[in-house]
Amino acid sequence: MPMGLSNYRASLTRFQSFIALLILCIALSLLSNKFLTIENGWNVLRQISVNVCISVGMTLVVLTAGIDLSVGSILAFSGAVAAGLLKNGIPWPAHDLFIGFTLLGTIVAALIVGAALGFFNGWMITRFKVPPFVATLAMLTIARGLTMLSTKGYPISSLGSKFDFIGSGWLLGIPVLVWISAVTVILAVVLVRKTPLGRYIYAIGGNEQAARLSGIHINRVKIIVYTIGGILAAVGGIMVTSRLDSAQPNAGTNYELDSIAAVVIGGTSLSGGRGTIMGTVLGAIIIGVLNNGLVLLDVSPFWQQVIKGLVILLSVIVDKMNSQEA
Amino acid sequence: MKKLTIALVSMILLAGCGTRDGNGQPKKIAIVVSTLNNPWFVFLAQTAAAKAKALGYESKIFDSQNNTALESDHFENAIASGYNAILFNPTDAKGSVINVKKAKDAGIPVFCMDREIDSRDAATSQILSDSYSGCIDLGKLFVKALNKKGNYVELLGIVSDDNTWNRSKGFHSVVDNYPHLKMVAQQSADFDRNKAMEVMESILQAHPDIDGVFAGNDAMAMGAWQALTAAGLAGKIKVIGFDGAEDAINSIKEGKLTATAMQFPKTIAELAATDADEYFKGKRDFPHKLPIPVDVVSATNIDKYTAYGKKN
Repeated sequence: MPMGLSNYRASLTRFQSFIALLILCIALSLLSNKFLTIENGWNVLRQISVNVCISVGMTLVVLTAGIDLSVGSILAFSGAVAAGLLKNGIPWPAHDLFIGFTLLGTIVAALIVGAALGFFNGWMITRFKVPPFVATLAMLTIARGLTMLSTKGYPISSLGSKFDFIGSGWLLGIPVLVWISAVTVILAVVLVRKTPLGRYIYAIGGNEQAARLSGIHINRVKIIVYTIGGILAAVGGIMVTSRLDSAQPNAGTNYELDSIAAVVIGGTSLSGGRGTIMGTVLGAIIIGVLNNGLVLLDVSPFWQQVIKGLVILLSVIVDKMNSQEA
Repeated sequence: MKKLTIALVSMILLAGCGTRDGNGQPKKIAIVVSTLNNPWFVFLAQTAAAKAKALGYESKIFDSQNNTALESDHFENAIASGYNAILFNPTDAKGSVINVKKAKDAGIPVFCMDREIDSRDAATSQILSDSYSGCIDLGKLFVKALNKKGNYVELLGIVSDDNTWNRSKGFHSVVDNYPHLKMVAQQSADFDRNKAMEVMESILQAHPDIDGVFAGNDAMAMGAWQALTAAGLAGKIKVIGFDGAEDAINSIKEGKLTATAMQFPKTIAELAATDADEYFKGKRDFPHKLPIPVDVVSATNIDKYTAYGKKN
């Protein structure tokens, strides 16, 4: 059955990313004695936490054979909303009103903003049949523009020690950022493996026509997937903003590329239907380890870009070769 | 539908032609800025727009998004729609020359702000932030703060940006003369706060024994400071930035960052708008280049400064 075969392929690709990561780690620890330390391990995990959250959403989208280019901009806008509400609230001088926001209120508001923009993506794609690439490309500039409008182009800084805790706090010996990304990953794995929605996502990406004929509400599933993507981008926005204690108007620029890279390195097929959440997590770790290792080794910034590109190519080539053999 | 679009476009074009030579109409000034994705340039553009308005002109801001091709489109549009002058912050010293020449050929004066273009005669005037000299002064302060010895890290901006290297070269022209000051890492963080924090965290793993950080802008200096704070090293390591952004000024006030270099975007933008005004009134002999000095701001003189300028 195709299901068994795709599971086999999936586990093979997962295995392959893991081997790549292992080789990378061994090489780096031979080249630098600073690489394999607990502290550096936490560094890498903290640094990839945002990309992990975004890339989990991206994986779901890519599994339906879609793409989401707007994640970086949605991240920036949700972060700006969170920072703006926390710092300034909403003054309403016409009615002599002022709406203040608690930390929780701020976070909820940012998540709602992310969900709304993600929903809008899904709505455009399903209702008006706008190709995902185009719809989310449009959202990339819309959300960036909204960020500029809401921040007027200046960073919003000094957000208070409570909010700071998300980005720099520790809980039970583990950074809060790592907790957030771990919980996100677990929820996504459960969603993909144990729920009907998870099965529908694979089915749509595998063969949309067949999925439709078997009674799956394609549009509903797609809208949910893009909305989740938006929410996870907003989670990333809260994480980045808290980590920097500042919402930067240019936050998240090019994050969609890092995220797509993680998904691809993790063995998820851009044509949909094949791939795993854990593969993406490994992909994100590989990118994080590479970023970290290249700096530890004092590699010139020019070469770093070349090397990262080559790694993406290599991983896709290996993936292609494997899937042809299988 | 097609017809309608064409009709609309030609109406816009006609409207543009109509105001170009109009006598009663206020003259129009286009403000073409390299990027609005960085608060410094937002401030520059908005100040220029405000000054132009105060002088009685209409003005509009165009964002080139660090893209010389897009900048070229803005110039063509500004020429076609009858702008009378362009206040210009170039994306690239060489790549932008042709755009300025295009405007000059169309009889529209161009006044460069902050960044220069590589041409002696294309622009009517160039009011430039003297990044190189500013970084020489920063380098001197850095040498003093580190007592002429120690390991340091340099965070570069976007490596394809002229400003990145102007600042780096100015700094090294001083610091490289001290053999006991050793640069243990030089990495790019793209002028970005988050990237700077991440890069700094990694650098600290390889070189926990550093004494100073030179960052090519304030956002990166702030990011580096946060990485140092998280590692428990804040206060032991001197961090200097460049720009004079609000966060950096506050940070120096709080005794965190050691120094920054204050550029004066307000002065630059207002001078450029004033030059345009004088040009309209007949003045033609503008200095080819007017460097605006950059001030080093540290704890000793912080009281005199506010974000992007001197206190009034």
